[in-house]
Amino acid sequence: MDDTVLAGPAPGRSARVAFTGARTDFIRLVRRGALLELVTAGFYRFWLATDIRHALWSGTSIEGDAAEYTGTARELLIGFLFALAILVPIYLVYFLIGIEIERAKAFASLPLFLFFYAFGQFAIFRARRYRATRTVWRGVRFWMSGSGWAYAWRACLWTFATIFTLGGLLPWRESALERYKMRHLHYGDLPARFEASGWTLFKRGWWLWLLAFLIIPIPFIYPAYRAILWRWWIEGVRFGTLRFESVLEAGDLMGLYWATIGWIVLFMSLAGGAFGIVAAALPHLLGAPAGATGIVWLIRQHPVLIIALYLVDYLAIALFAGFVVRVYLVRGVWERVVTSATVYNLENADNVRVMGGLASALGEGLVDGLDVAGF
Amino acid sequence: MDSTSPDFSSPAGARPDASPSDTPPPLAIYFDGLTNRRRLVTLAFGPDLDIVEDGAAAATWRYDDLRAVDGGPGTLRLKNVAGLPLARLEIRDPAPQAEIRARARFLAIGRGSPQTGRIVGWSLAAICSIVLIVLFGVPLVAERMVPLVPMSFERRLGGVVDNQVRAIFGGKVCTDPEGNAAFAKMVEKLREASHVEMPLQTAVLASSIPNALALPGGKIYLFNGLLQKANGPDEIAGVIAHEMGHVRHRDQIRVVIQNGGTSFLIGLLFGDFTGSTAAIFTARSLVDASYSRQVEGSADAFAIETMHALGRSPAPMGELLFRVTGTQGNKTIGILASHPLTEARRELMRREDRPATGPDILSPAEWRALKNVCGPQRAK
Repeated sequence: MDDTVLAGPAPGRSARVAFTGARTDFIRLVRRGALLELVTAGFYRFWLATDIRHALWSGTSIEGDAAEYTGTARELLIGFLFALAILVPIYLVYFLIGIEIERAKAFASLPLFLFFYAFGQFAIFRARRYRATRTVWRGVRFWMSGSGWAYAWRACLWTFATIFTLGGLLPWRESALERYKMRHLHYGDLPARFEASGWTLFKRGWWLWLLAFLIIPIPFIYPAYRAILWRWWIEGVRFGTLRFESVLEAGDLMGLYWATIGWIVLFMSLAGGAFGIVAAALPHLLGAPAGATGIVWLIRQHPVLIIALYLVDYLAIALFAGFVVRVYLVRGVWERVVTSATVYNLENADNVRVMGGLASALGEGLVDGLDVAGF
Repeated sequence: MDSTSPDFSSPAGARPDASPSDTPPPLAIYFDGLTNRRRLVTLAFGPDLDIVEDGAAAATWRYDDLRAVDGGPGTLRLKNVAGLPLARLEIRDPAPQAEIRARARFLAIGRGSPQTGRIVGWSLAAICSIVLIVLFGVPLVAERMVPLVPMSFERRLGGVVDNQVRAIFGGKVCTDPEGNAAFAKMVEKLREASHVEMPLQTAVLASSIPNALALPGGKIYLFNGLLQKANGPDEIAGVIAHEMGHVRHRDQIRVVIQNGGTSFLIGLLFGDFTGSTAAIFTARSLVDASYSRQVEGSADAFAIETMHALGRSPAPMGELLFRVTGTQGNKTIGILASHPLTEARRELMRREDRPATGPDILSPAEWRALKNVCGPQRAK
């Protein structure tokens, strides 16, 4: 990385993006977070998400200067409460409209899901805006203009076209939506834009599209798709003449996804085995009459016990899965992706002036409330 | 880790003026909160912290205004709560870091989550309140709200459910005039005895499933499958009286309000908790089943009362139910069941058995007509 700078003829300053967050610290953070999520029935998620972002942002640095996440858990909590205040009346109206429509024809209310899809896209845009305005590098923050609804109807049209072409238009959907989001992103007074084309993405990923029709290899296809998408995305981002390159290969995320799958399957078998052993031993301990089929006897005589046992097992698996996903798919993928990138023409991002205000966390709350995934 | 070492003459800094001549004063990097220019400064620890650039004061920060923010491993990054929100001072050497930590008293305020105890406490309080609302508040609210829901809305809801019921059970309404006349007579007797005043619509559906349903808005369906399992008019009369109990109590609309309320509250409780759908499903099943058992229990009580008012015994209804389901205790998990167990219901109705004092509900000829309402049936 340093070589490019010292080589002289290179037109601008460049640097490899570094990640220095310690894995053990992150594991400790996530383990504690998972236990607290259990104790608080999930209310801790706002604090955990914030802690995770602090860890990822501050571990990522360019030219030795680490990024800073300035968001707080309280903002996320308030965003969630606002989202509830908006969603509750909407759900009610949705319910009443549903009754009116269904009366005309049974099961005709399904298209109303479209409205919720659009709302989810709105939420995705606003959530990214929140994260951007909470990201600071070298004492200047990122910010976003643009309209969540303008984004939402674009996303809906593109999704419709993508479904209609069995996924064939997905690359063009990605590039059009990313162009909208990135042309409204700014770093201080330096505007961003997005220059990667749908055609480039199509050329890199068309074989995955064909394989996807076979269904079976999806656990292989998805990691490859994510890797291709990330590299394409990184290489499309521009701030003035500042640009990025990435050396991420299609197979680079495969290990992380398969480690996740492997750990979860292993833990599920262990938890399932433990459940079986306890369920087999309990009838003897509780004095089941001879000749009674153990598990049937148990379900009939102690249904609460067996449901409690099942819930404990289930929660243990859910907690462990959440933990593994955060270690491998959140931190692991983040580290792999950011360290694959090199920034060029850094001098273009010198002497940037602070601009732009903070956005509310409403989008984050809506993403949480509507359970949509997206970035 | 090399990249984070305090090496300011690296390409990152690229500043030739950072010569080793000024070694004594500690170095730091200063961002003034206006631009992202990386200013190499020295620190002077006086009564306040002086930030000095090229011999001139760039800024003076009070120690009490200093707060630590995320700065990456090994870096102490400071902000000044009295200054520009994005002004930052980064110190990478351990010695000046220690100096700052010794002087700045409020460095850690607002950092991390030291209020974990409070978060856990408030969460537990929220969980308790939601559980109490689900168990006691929601049934109470539903009870109070049911009379406020206009009958026209309930009929509208009934129309929706009607469409779905017919789509699911594929049931055509049986049209035999004599059978329908007998059925209407039975319904009318039950209705007079039970003082149900709202308009009822009743029909026999040509479905082989042994069941009967009450829909919101006073629609009652008897399925031919149940009719064919019945040995006498009192068995069917008891079942219809049970369904009338649902109509009279407006149970359907109550259940809509209760289930909507619980699923909303339980969803709120678990939120985005990793893959919580199964937990939500289990919790909802338990709560909904317990509501449902209460509702069914009171509809049974209504049926018993109605049969007594007609001078007939409710016991045959229990026998019919038992004939349909058999013993449930070894197949069904009691706390997940939507109805009380059939053997318990049969027990209850047997206890309420009294010798008949009233006339038969249907004559033998009418009963035969009712049995054949969906066309002549094959002999059993």
